Amino acid sequence: MKKIPDKDILLFKSCLVSVEYPGVESSTAFLFDKLGVGYHRDQRQSCCTGLGHYYDLFDQLSTTALAARNFWVARDSGNPNIAVMCATCYAILKKSAEILNKNDEAREKINGLLEEGGLGKMVYHKGDIDPHKNIFHAAEILYNKKDLLKDSPHLDFSQFNIATHHACHYCKVHYEDTIGGVRHPMLLDELAASCGAETVGWYDQKRLTCGAGFRQRFTNNDLSLQVTAEKLLSLKENQTDIMLHMCPNCQMQYDRYQPVIEKKQNVKFNIFHLNIAQFLALNMGADPYRVLGIQTHTVPVEPLLKKLGIEPVKTPVENGKIKMDH
Amino acid sequence: MRTLKLNEDSSKLAKEVIGDLKASPSLELFKCIQCGMCTSLCPGARYSDYNPREMVKRVLDGDESVIYDDDIWNCFYCYTCNSVCPANNSASVVNQILRQKAINEGKQTDRLSAFLTYGDSFLEIGIGSIPAAFFDVLVKDFGPEWLDLKMNLDDVRKELGLGPVTLPEDSVEEINEILKITGFTRKMEKIRGSP
Repeated sequence: MKKIPDKDILLFKSCLVSVEYPGVESSTAFLFDKLGVGYHRDQRQSCCTGLGHYYDLFDQLSTTALAARNFWVARDSGNPNIAVMCATCYAILKKSAEILNKNDEAREKINGLLEEGGLGKMVYHKGDIDPHKNIFHAAEILYNKKDLLKDSPHLDFSQFNIATHHACHYCKVHYEDTIGGVRHPMLLDELAASCGAETVGWYDQKRLTCGAGFRQRFTNNDLSLQVTAEKLLSLKENQTDIMLHMCPNCQMQYDRYQPVIEKKQNVKFNIFHLNIAQFLALNMGADPYRVLGIQTHTVPVEPLLKKLGIEPVKTPVENGKIKMDH
Repeated sequence: MRTLKLNEDSSKLAKEVIGDLKASPSLELFKCIQCGMCTSLCPGARYSDYNPREMVKRVLDGDESVIYDDDIWNCFYCYTCNSVCPANNSASVVNQILRQKAINEGKQTDRLSAFLTYGDSFLEIGIGSIPAAFFDVLVKDFGPEWLDLKMNLDDVRKELGLGPVTLPEDSVEEINEILKITGFTRKMEKIRGSP
């Protein structure tokens, strides 16, 4: 297997994690701290453009030029490795790095534009970021440390059927780089197994997209939810209790729309949705409200915690405990 | 004797597609064998009239009407076709390029109108936002708890030990400059101005 870094990592902020499931970021940071992963968050980093790119609004040139800026932020902060929490960031950044490395004409054009705009410091040199050796999903960084996860205290998940959803833009875009299989992805299953939680492994429709489809969720909502429902129905057949995610957009599609589909189709799914980082952090004793951030979920996670014997306690917010590296 | 006249320009569209910045050098559009793997696993094809196999065939036939076809807007960009194609073609990438071609010609731009506020947010704060046009529908679908989250995001983030999502002012200026020089800002204005 290729070498996965565990230091000099820019933890790349994701727009959807930031505003929908910020607990994914705090859980990832919690795990990185526990596992000794060296990382940095940088306020200067912009959004990857991904959602706008796949809404057909951003063109490839603008997306790649902004990626060049973010790659400059990574290198300037001394963290040339990038770990993303969103599958769209993953695909967008890899694609941009590939273009900047391999397409001399495009790189020179973008560099020329940066110089012209007085941003010469951001000029990209061929090979500055290697898409295969420098850009990873946070789940891959954790996968590299899974032997340490084995040693952590475990919750007993044996009463639950756990299924995984491997985000399309992690598995299917740059599939030659995907760890843990593409046709039958097992990255999240293996991560869960490493801390003693066995998953159902394969299930019908395991490969199916979440249905968000970027613009489809908004402009073609019926089409979008038909696909989401197909997967949820398949999971119901397998009596799935917990679904593990690796992308905030997929998580949003299932967690936010599950009650909508339940009402539409007059069916109950009763599936809890957690990002893999939230799941692993919970297993290592992280606080459900102060680390996992379950208060931003639509499908309440509290009943799951109760079944695990955890009584979550909401406490008032303390002021003045803000962590930002740059 | 009847002779078959070959259209010399039949590969023009396909060549334009593979010459696009979005098309990687490994995109084997010309090697498509029309096996239909893409369509058989396509969520868009399952629930609408979108047919990626047919879309690729029309590109290879030089049928430019495919650029303006409404059905290609039903692709989810899930890249399932990309991951299963035995010829290393990518219907998903071809689709994205066709949509961009239409937009660049000033066609189908009404499909972008509702998403312009994502671009506005990017220019304003360096981060995209959920398109404002759909906000009310989302509140209706996701319930008042979701609206509460939007209203109290900073407090929730504080509780999680996270700072504000905003970028420093000079970073926002840099982003604006980049989007100006790549032509994105002008494109936004153009789309906003078009009927």
